[in-house]
Amino acid sequence: MGSNTNTGDFLVLEIIVMIKQVPDSQEVVIDPVTFTLNRGAARNVINPADENAIEAALRIKDKTNAHVTVITMGPPFAESALIDCMSRGVDDAVLVTDRAFAGADTYPTGLTLASTIKKLGKYDIIFAGEESTDSSTGHVGPGVAEFLGTDQASYTSESWYEDGFVYAKRELEDGTEVVKMKPPTLITVLTNANDPRRATLRKKIDAMKKGIKTMTLADLGMPPEWVGLRGSPTVVKSMRTIDEKKREGKKFKIEEIPKLVDELIEKKIISI
Amino acid sequence: MVGIINAVPPENLDEYKNVFVFIELRNGQLSRPGLEMIGAGMNIARKANEKLIGVMIGDDISKLAEEAGAYGCDIVLGAEGKELKEFKTMPYSYIIGEFIQEFKPNILLIPATRNGRDLASRVAVRSKAGVTADCTELDIDMNGRILLAKRPTYGESTLAEILCKKHRPQMATARPGIFKIPDREEGRKFQKDIRKMKVPAEMMGKEIIEFIPKKSLDLTAAKIVVSGGLGLSKPQGFQILDELANQLGGVVGASRPTVDLGWIERDHQVGQTGQSVRPDLYIAAGISGKIQHIMGMKLSKNVISINTDPNAEINQYSDYIINDDLYKAIPALTEEIKKRKEAKKAD
Ligand SMILES: Cc1cc2nc3c(=O)[nH]c(=O)nc-3n(C[C@H](O)[C@H](O)[C@H](O)COP(=O)(O)OP(=O)(O)OC[C@H]3O[C@@H](n4cnc5c(N)ncnc54)[C@H](O)[C@@H]3O)c2cc1C
Ligand SMILES: Nc1ncnc2c1ncn2[C@@H]1O[C@H](COP(=O)(O)O)[C@@H](O)[C@H]1O
Repeated sequence: MGSNTNTGDFLVLEIIVMIKQVPDSQEVVIDPVTFTLNRGAARNVINPADENAIEAALRIKDKTNAHVTVITMGPPFAESALIDCMSRGVDDAVLVTDRAFAGADTYPTGLTLASTIKKLGKYDIIFAGEESTDSSTGHVGPGVAEFLGTDQASYTSESWYEDGFVYAKRELEDGTEVVKMKPPTLITVLTNANDPRRATLRKKIDAMKKGIKTMTLADLGMPPEWVGLRGSPTVVKSMRTIDEKKREGKKFKIEEIPKLVDELIEKKIISI
Repeated sequence: MVGIINAVPPENLDEYKNVFVFIELRNGQLSRPGLEMIGAGMNIARKANEKLIGVMIGDDISKLAEEAGAYGCDIVLGAEGKELKEFKTMPYSYIIGEFIQEFKPNILLIPATRNGRDLASRVAVRSKAGVTADCTELDIDMNGRILLAKRPTYGESTLAEILCKKHRPQMATARPGIFKIPDREEGRKFQKDIRKMKVPAEMMGKEIIEFIPKKSLDLTAAKIVVSGGLGLSKPQGFQILDELANQLGGVVGASRPTVDLGWIERDHQVGQTGQSVRPDLYIAAGISGKIQHIMGMKLSKNVISINTDPNAEINQYSDYIINDDLYKAIPALTEEIKKRKEAKKAD
């Protein structure tokens, strides 16, 4: 970033966005026999909440002199998601990819991402999605914050940068909490927090020209047993289909609503 | 700060004993999800013949500790201080980290509320432990005292059982509204250990500059959810759902597009990107039943769908189907319930 001539010695805010490529849930179908998700045919997309995280980062960049880098730990084909991010206005993209990363639970995922962020140098704000649609833990963001020792604000609907501080609105079960933090800090963004901007063709062409950076385990300088499946404290012991309740689908006409209410009361589904 | 380091398992697993539960406070009270953790932890502690240790952080918590004791904690371990009044990740995870080092619990359960999830992942990294998110079933295998943590995944279609054999504590967050709050027993004997903790300045973290409370809407704990979709065709449609929900003692849910259109607030949204509910009765009015919505309600014990389209997908997930205009069906249901109530009163 050498282009901020008219801002004097104003520092460039370094923003990192962590994104994950996931199977498109719109294309994921429930197998009518096993009732499990058939994700085989699904297209890969940016995890929905991560699109909101990118938008949150770009909104800060719209107002402040900022440089946004998007990172993902994933297979080589995750490159397409990164190019998509750059086509929306993200400056740089890093793909952290290595066979050794496969099978990682949230601990080594956070470890790998935190280590990547450290390697990249300065960071002021790190954005993540509230959770991913395929593992839906919401743990990776806060985990990265703990590895880096930064503060965090999770489940945010809005965030902004002002006079050297980062502000965020956290949406909790019983209200909205507005917080003020010193950078560096990590923010996780709610799905639907904002309306993510679309990619533009021009930016896409630029992105393809610029390309992405790739890093491997060797670049991070960590032993292979720290990452991936081997570095994961948790193991999946078993998976079983949740027994679908057989649904009768009994039909009732409007005139039969008293009969329906009788049945609901009788079966103690409702009480009067 | 732990630094960037791998999850090293402890050498002596037998040193780790007892069950920690984090009792989340809300508005200076024990929260429902917090009490549910006592219930979830109690089953495990009793089975393992170990102590149930309630962990509580806040300001002036002595009375609350008494409550936690009455609900079944064998020990209430607390940290109190003015600066700990509100939940903040940095000092809270620091304190729990210190408690873990001192007490070496075998298991730590935290409610899977927003603040609970915010906290759990940091505590896990801090303790070099594994954590299973959003569990709906928790048990212990006495052979090795392994926590059996089960959580729905892939849009609630699959139940995964996740173990953490080598790392301690074995952590899980547990979904609110699932675990039973134990009976309260006045004057129950328990031990209270409340400390004034010194949190290092650099661990105090963010400043909370404002809290804007809203009427707490806990869809996940509701016994009855009356949800509306685009079939309402206008925002005012939610009023008739409100009336029915009021009559039934339930809450109002919504499909995502109605929320996106601003017809109703986001915290009413049911589905993949909203909340997962499992009430005794789910009423879906004018909802087509797209997979992302189904994911959030398919564990409902009973489902009524009201839809003008006889082939709406929601019908496959319904026990009762009213194939008609919701503007006729909903008021008719409300009226019928009212009538029954009045009849009962007259008795
Ligand atoms: C990443 C992603 C995440 C998503 N997450 C969610 C989520 O969390 N929750 C969610 O709900 N959706 C979610 N969606 C959207 C989801 O795919 C569907 O678009 C949405 O659920 C449809 O909402 P609906 O059923 O209200 O509307 P529609 O699909 O338009 O259905 C309206 C229904 O109303 C019926 N109807 C019309 N008039 C009447 C009448 N007078 N009386 C009775 N019935 C009538 C129609 O027959 C129709 O079945 C998500 C989508 C994506 C891509
Ligand atoms: N492999 C990954 N690469 C980059 N970011 C990730 C990865 N996995 C998770 N994240 C980030 O962490 C958030 C929460 O994911 P999860 O903990 O899996 O629910 C996501 O929304 C992403 O922002």
